[in-house]
Amino acid sequence: MMTFLYFIPNSWLPLLESAFYALIFPGFVAILLLAFFIIWFERKAAARVQMRYGPLWVSKRTGGIIQLLADMIRFSFQEFIVPQGADFIPFVFLPGLLLAFSVLPTVFIPIGPDYSHIFPSSYTLLLAVAFTLVIPVYLVVLGWAADNKFSFIGALREAYLLISYEVPFILAVASAFLLYGTLDLVKIVGIQESTLPGIILNPIAAIVYIIAVIRATGRVPYDIVEADSELVFGPYTEYSSLMFGFVMGVPYIELYSYSLLFSVLFLSGWAPVTGIGFLGGLILPGIVTFVKAVIVMCFLVFLRAVYPRYKLDKAVRAGWSWVFYLALISLLLSAFVSRVLW
Amino acid sequence: MSDQKTPRKSALGEVKGHIDALATGFKYFVDPHRMTLDYPAEAMELPKNYRGFFRLIDEKCIGCSLCEIVCPSNAIVMMQLPVAQPPAPKAGAQGSQQAGAQPAPRPAPRVKKRPLVDWGMCIFCYFCVDVCPTEAFEPSNIHDLSYFEESEYRPTFEGFLKLPESPSRNSRKVVARLDEKNGIRYEEKGDKE
Amino acid sequence: MTQEIKTVPFTYEALSQLEMKEGILELQIGPAHAGSGHMRILAWVEGDTVVKVDPDVGFVHRGVEKLSEDRLYIKAIPIVERPSLVDTVNANLGYVIALERLLGLEPPPRAQYIRVITAEISRIMSHLYGIAIYGIFMGSSTVFMWAVADREPFIDLLQELTGARITYSHIIPGGVRWDLPKGFADKVEVALRYLENRMKDYEKVWINNPVVMARSVGVGKLSSQDAIRLGVVGPNLRASGVKYDVRKNDPYAAYADFDFEVPTFKEGDSYSRLLIRVEEIKQSMSIIRQALKRLPEGKVIYEDYYKRMSPLMKEIYDKTGRVKFTLMLTSLSPPKGEAISRVEGGRGEMFYYLVSDGGKNPYRFRLVTPSFRNLPYFTHVMPGHKLADIPVIYGSIDYFPPEADR
Ligand code: SF4
Ligand code: SF4
Repeated sequence: MMTFLYFIPNSWLPLLESAFYALIFPGFVAILLLAFFIIWFERKAAARVQMRYGPLWVSKRTGGIIQLLADMIRFSFQEFIVPQGADFIPFVFLPGLLLAFSVLPTVFIPIGPDYSHIFPSSYTLLLAVAFTLVIPVYLVVLGWAADNKFSFIGALREAYLLISYEVPFILAVASAFLLYGTLDLVKIVGIQESTLPGIILNPIAAIVYIIAVIRATGRVPYDIVEADSELVFGPYTEYSSLMFGFVMGVPYIELYSYSLLFSVLFLSGWAPVTGIGFLGGLILPGIVTFVKAVIVMCFLVFLRAVYPRYKLDKAVRAGWSWVFYLALISLLLSAFVSRVLW
Repeated sequence: MSDQKTPRKSALGEVKGHIDALATGFKYFVDPHRMTLDYPAEAMELPKNYRGFFRLIDEKCIGCSLCEIVCPSNAIVMMQLPVAQPPAPKAGAQGSQQAGAQPAPRPAPRVKKRPLVDWGMCIFCYFCVDVCPTEAFEPSNIHDLSYFEESEYRPTFEGFLKLPESPSRNSRKVVARLDEKNGIRYEEKGDKE
Repeated sequence: MTQEIKTVPFTYEALSQLEMKEGILELQIGPAHAGSGHMRILAWVEGDTVVKVDPDVGFVHRGVEKLSEDRLYIKAIPIVERPSLVDTVNANLGYVIALERLLGLEPPPRAQYIRVITAEISRIMSHLYGIAIYGIFMGSSTVFMWAVADREPFIDLLQELTGARITYSHIIPGGVRWDLPKGFADKVEVALRYLENRMKDYEKVWINNPVVMARSVGVGKLSSQDAIRLGVVGPNLRASGVKYDVRKNDPYAAYADFDFEVPTFKEGDSYSRLLIRVEEIKQSMSIIRQALKRLPEGKVIYEDYYKRMSPLMKEIYDKTGRVKFTLMLTSLSPPKGEAISRVEGGRGEMFYYLVSDGGKNPYRFRLVTPSFRNLPYFTHVMPGHKLADIPVIYGSIDYFPPEADR
């Protein structure tokens, strides 16, 4: 493994590997590049449906893929305005914290069969889910801190939706647990490899999971929190400059970790590719997992081109009625399938 | 037809509605019907009768001020321009239809009245073009104009005698065609005939 | 079932009491807001429920009436077009009809038919724009882009006819300014068939979309009695089940010659206000087809006017169908008197009142626009709904602030 790095003491290698995961793939750099891609894709896909071109003029040859970079440069030269009544510390520090927390779940999601020796734990599913669920709490605080009525209402909406869609989400994950009988994501992929992908074993759980993800990441039709036609930009209304870029990026990074988890839980992760070692056991399978996650993300951002926005009370009602029922059914289905298979 | 009730959907109908919507969206994603024009790179060749910038044909104008009177946004002012006194009395070269009827015992005027349009105020209603008894305005289909400095923009009589230069004059020209499938289709200007 | 209307009087005391009440939040939506248009909507919400809405009209007031009053009659034509930029032909037509009634002019049948054709094209564009605004207020940029893009073929048609994209100033007292160009009917047919095809996709993506139905069915109901009592007009009135259309009830131009339906819906909710626009687009298509089929021959300006044109003008008219303005047209001075006219614009009934004192300028000009008359939707229908319903109701009534503010 990594024989070309002969000058590095052997004992450092695990550390280096971890650093590679955290910083390059599937960690920070990959996320950054992916955020670029997915925002570009979202705009391009919507533009294609909407009889337009979308971003084009920043680097025309590549179809405007570096538009976001240009936007970011523009953001970073803007003045960062802190409103007078805002609670300074949460207002200024929460965007960064949110960004950090949204990256965190990716640590626990394995991208290859060899991941277990990077992050040896048999509770990775639990950890990943736990860390994805932290973010909305900060969002509520952020909405409160801005001292703006629209931010406040946005934060309240987030709280309502959080509660009503967390339960189906956890039930969907629980039915996955019931299905595979383990909380170790590496083993979960192993089981799917030997049988069928989870989306076929329990499609209902996958549907509930997707609905909860759309809600959690504020994709259309669940962009109720930042509904621009009544609440200017929801909890993020008062942000400007680079901070706006941060809070805008958060949902996309969240989307990434959710989709990665989805591809591991329901799309059998790195399924056709398995191996051992750094390259065969992590990078190549990692790419497969990654591509599956990206396809899921592409589907989710594509919804923007089709749907309008849902309404808060209807969404909450749906969360407690048919989504909840579906989640319960998926539990039963999981119990049934696991009894039949195992 | 009249007094309809709005349709309602069953749960199954709702699922079908979702699938229909997604499928239609996907149809356009695969086969986009783009209607935007890539403007500075390619520009639309507007029809001949498009109400764009126009110019004054000095020789045709008889200084009757009708255009000033009719302009709804008061964009036209009549200017008093000194006339270089010609050695010979003026022939009926200009505005022959109007001036032909009356004898010309009067001495040639020292000043001539000429309209000047402020493009910043003009709304391109073409009332002035239509009211002019001698067709002294030459219309064009130029619709875009840009200046780097304010001084270039300021209306001058000399500037009004020629058509402004369109910033998209060197772009690839396309013409818009109505199309049953695509709504508007842009074609190269060449394959018109 | 009549709707119970919550009335909080618009007095200072009542409003300040409302603000003092525990748990009531005052929201100022607009005028610089994604979901308000050029106006400010003051909304008081209790929890998520709207208690009171106060539309603060007048933000884009431009004084159309007063501007017209110190100008020649003819000069008001481009001005009356300005308030409702997506429906300029109807605005223009209403003013000219009032002026013609003052002058006692009767335009020739061909001009009347051309007026009907352009007015119906304008109505289609206006309804498409209404659908677009409804879409963007509900968060669907796709329908917004689609509907705005699908106005393009029709803009292109009128551009070919008049040479302008939106502000056509096409209708003048006594006729129209340009005759239809050659091959116009075929092009109209192409555009209409295109829109018919597209409407199928609209149905799938928008009209039958379950999310749209969930948000708009039953939202913003106005019963027919209340609709009549509050004096709302146009498609919104018809969506509440009142069969009233100026084109049928008080035919102007050549509308008496065509047979078309006046679609109505029973519910009077936002969804039926969306559907009625779709239905009316279909009716407009049928009117345009009928008009093009039976287009009479002849002049587009009345005979007397043609006689008074100079030889050059006559030559231009005979060659290109362009009507030059004569001195008579520029200095119209109708006899003392007053005239009213009503037209059915895209958003509803437009009312014009013109008083002449025999001078060159109108003595008094009054313009009542449909958007202004649809304002009761804000004050009477929105209270009791959720906050997220404000944009839905707003979008569904196709309210256009510049038109209401004039
Ligand atoms: S086209 Fe311009 S200059 Fe001519 S009358 Fe109209 S506003 Fe005035
Ligand atoms: S341009 Fe035409 S209308 Fe204007 S002053 Fe000259 S002749 Fe008269």
